[in-house]
Amino acid sequence: MVFSCIPFLFFFLPLCLILYYAVPFSWKNGILLIFSLIFYAWGEPIYILLMLFSTALDYTNGRLMERFGTTRPRRTVFLCCSVCINLSVLAFFKYADFAVATANAVLGTQFAQPGIHLPVGISFYTFQTMSYIIDLYRGEVKAERSYAAYLTYVSMFPQLVAGPIVRFSDIQEQLHDRRLTFDWFAQGLLRFMMGLFKKVLIANQAGALWEEIRVLGAANTSVATAWLGALCFTLQLYFDFSAYSDMAIGMGRMLGFSYNENFRYPLTAVSVTDFWRRWHISLSTWFRDYVYIPLGGNRKGVTRHLFNIAVVWFLTGMWHGASWNFILWGVYYGILLMLEKYLWGRALAKLPRPIQHAYAFLIVVFGFVIFAITDFGELGSYIGMLFSFGAGRLADTRFLWYLGNYGAVIAAACILSCPVYPWICQRASGLSRKKSCALSACAGVGVVLLFVLATAYMVSDTYNPFLYFRF
Amino acid sequence: MITNMNIKRAVVCALCLVVLTLSVCLIVSPKKEFSENENRYLTKFPALSAKAVLGGEYTASLNDWLADHFPMRDFFVGLKSQAEIASGRRAINQVYIADDDYLIESYAAPQNTARITDTLVSFYQKIDRTSVDVKLMLVPTAVTIYSDKLPQNAPASSQMETAQAIYSASGIPSVDCARWLADNASQGQLYYRTDHHWTTLGAYCAYLAYCDAKKLTPVSLDSLTAQTVTEAFAGTLYSRVNDYSHKKDSITLYTNPADDLTVTYLDTGEVTDSLYNLDYLDEKDKYSLFLNNIHPLIKIENQNAASQESLMLIKDSYANSMVPFLAHHYSTIYVFDTRYYRDGPSSFLSEHPEIQNVLLLYNMNTLDTDTGIRGIY
Repeated sequence: MVFSCIPFLFFFLPLCLILYYAVPFSWKNGILLIFSLIFYAWGEPIYILLMLFSTALDYTNGRLMERFGTTRPRRTVFLCCSVCINLSVLAFFKYADFAVATANAVLGTQFAQPGIHLPVGISFYTFQTMSYIIDLYRGEVKAERSYAAYLTYVSMFPQLVAGPIVRFSDIQEQLHDRRLTFDWFAQGLLRFMMGLFKKVLIANQAGALWEEIRVLGAANTSVATAWLGALCFTLQLYFDFSAYSDMAIGMGRMLGFSYNENFRYPLTAVSVTDFWRRWHISLSTWFRDYVYIPLGGNRKGVTRHLFNIAVVWFLTGMWHGASWNFILWGVYYGILLMLEKYLWGRALAKLPRPIQHAYAFLIVVFGFVIFAITDFGELGSYIGMLFSFGAGRLADTRFLWYLGNYGAVIAAACILSCPVYPWICQRASGLSRKKSCALSACAGVGVVLLFVLATAYMVSDTYNPFLYFRF
Repeated sequence: MITNMNIKRAVVCALCLVVLTLSVCLIVSPKKEFSENENRYLTKFPALSAKAVLGGEYTASLNDWLADHFPMRDFFVGLKSQAEIASGRRAINQVYIADDDYLIESYAAPQNTARITDTLVSFYQKIDRTSVDVKLMLVPTAVTIYSDKLPQNAPASSQMETAQAIYSASGIPSVDCARWLADNASQGQLYYRTDHHWTTLGAYCAYLAYCDAKKLTPVSLDSLTAQTVTEAFAGTLYSRVNDYSHKKDSITLYTNPADDLTVTYLDTGEVTDSLYNLDYLDEKDKYSLFLNNIHPLIKIENQNAASQESLMLIKDSYANSMVPFLAHHYSTIYVFDTRYYRDGPSSFLSEHPEIQNVLLLYNMNTLDTDTGIRGIY
């Protein structure tokens, strides 16, 4: 189930919240667990068993590590056991087809691909359970006693399918004791709404234009159109992904949990290094804490540092999908980070701010083209279109047509990619009480109206005239 | 007292109220089977089966069912379209929001031109051209004739280039209705504002082009009885755009008082004396009133025809509103809809040597997207 659909918004979530608030505290985790399992089973009725297996494994390993892991080597055994099984499961379900296809291409063999479809959320929950077992090994958390509580942590529906990757250490206390106040509920609901609007009103529209431009073909694509397409995909990805995080954080709040932020206006970064401190923070800190730093980070000499960066970014690319273009995308960032660290990072920081923003933004937009197109042939020709500055290819009327049709949505998206909301809040804090109330009243009416509009978009979603039309 | 906290409370309550009201209404409201505005059947409640549940199809169709039966669905669907138009969108579901309240279907780059030409060549080669006169009329749609009404910068492929390519490659003598339509574009409304068809006036212009090519004396509009049968025609393009505030169309019918017609629908066996079935005025798709919607083969006889000749008309739905003008010139017209007539009109022609005239009439949009024309041979 996705958050921006009618069954979720009008049945699942209200029902869950009503029951959640109606029962005494000791039952709340139970309600949350039941609804989370229903949520997962709604889209993945079979693979729910895989998730139950994964959590049972790490829960058991955790208990055993606590009970018998009196020495470091012993603890290492449990750690290796858990990490190996988790990674094998992930490798099998996510990368088996990819590995067979790559082997066939390299060796010229004809092995049949197993054709496994990817279980929803497996990349996220595998990383969550691994964070638990690694933290336990390091003595940073205590083993969880209750399997139900542990399963609740892993399967919690707000973050199950699209993150953020919540660390067990951040949430263990809240699993057993959390406060539920109206203020938190209100904050959470508004945050959820913000995510819903971003997803339905912006990400989907930008995505529609990207899909249209992508299939135009070289004859109809000018340089300006190609860059507009790349910009649309960037906006789609950012608004889609950060919207999911907003909705997750918002629902977490409504349920009394506090999750860390996952995005901090990444499109306003001033360098590639800065971008990765702002984009999908829960993933980059995961790789930092569990791969990069254990490998020695930057403390073991330049060669080792470069190697460590290479490993982390190869893995980051691979995590995003079982296809070479994702790995290429990771390597692209790995190389850029190395260059910033050792070549032009300092010089860049001395340039005027607008140039720094433009530099990072162009790198990010171009990077997402590599991310967007899985097929290398298509990717090559799209990149060709981005740079085909031949005569009469710079812009055409089709570009103006798209700009007229989608200009308002793109402009809104660009504005919302910047920290306008915190800026308004900051300005509003200095206002008189009367003015501040007037402002929040307007904002409130705006939220309700936008919710009605978002509902309209969701209701119209099934309408596909080419499938259903009756002639 | 008005404080920020109270405002926040009010907003939260309002949001919860909206959600709960809609979900309760969704459960208790009566369900429709068919959406008039969208012109389609709504999703049926999914049947419960282990296979569908485990495969995930059950929940997917449940999602569609909930969206299709959402309370005030028409309001929400219309709201989305209006919001899109307000945000600057000038094309929704491949339909342009054009000037003067016109909705105009776009013309995508054709995919099947070579195949269509081959079919026409095969059909034409089999005919004995010494005794049968064949004409081909490819009708441009509003996107060509009303190109000046299209929104600024709208991308367009040329229908007339495709038409010329088909005319010359097939070798069938053409009826240049495009010029007649273009010359009369300012004379009145040649296409419906909300539908992909031409109006009876548009059909009349093409009829003049046909008479010109065939050296017939056309019946003047003044000698016909005009009757506006509806002013609430919301056509197929209206249903694709779903802006329910859009202005609707009127339909004007022309009848020739001099004609004495017998219309036989050969699939159902029904016989009438009218080229119109006004029962369709009560339905959504009012264009169906012309020639009683879709029939594979219709025989139209006119006791008072201007000649004793017969015409074989092989066509799509555009021709349905042109037949009332053609009927005056032929004692018998056989009307073939090749999407549904399975036996191939070629063999019909060899079995009926009395037919001396053949007209192939298709509009440029459905010519490429609809497989109908492949049924002619």
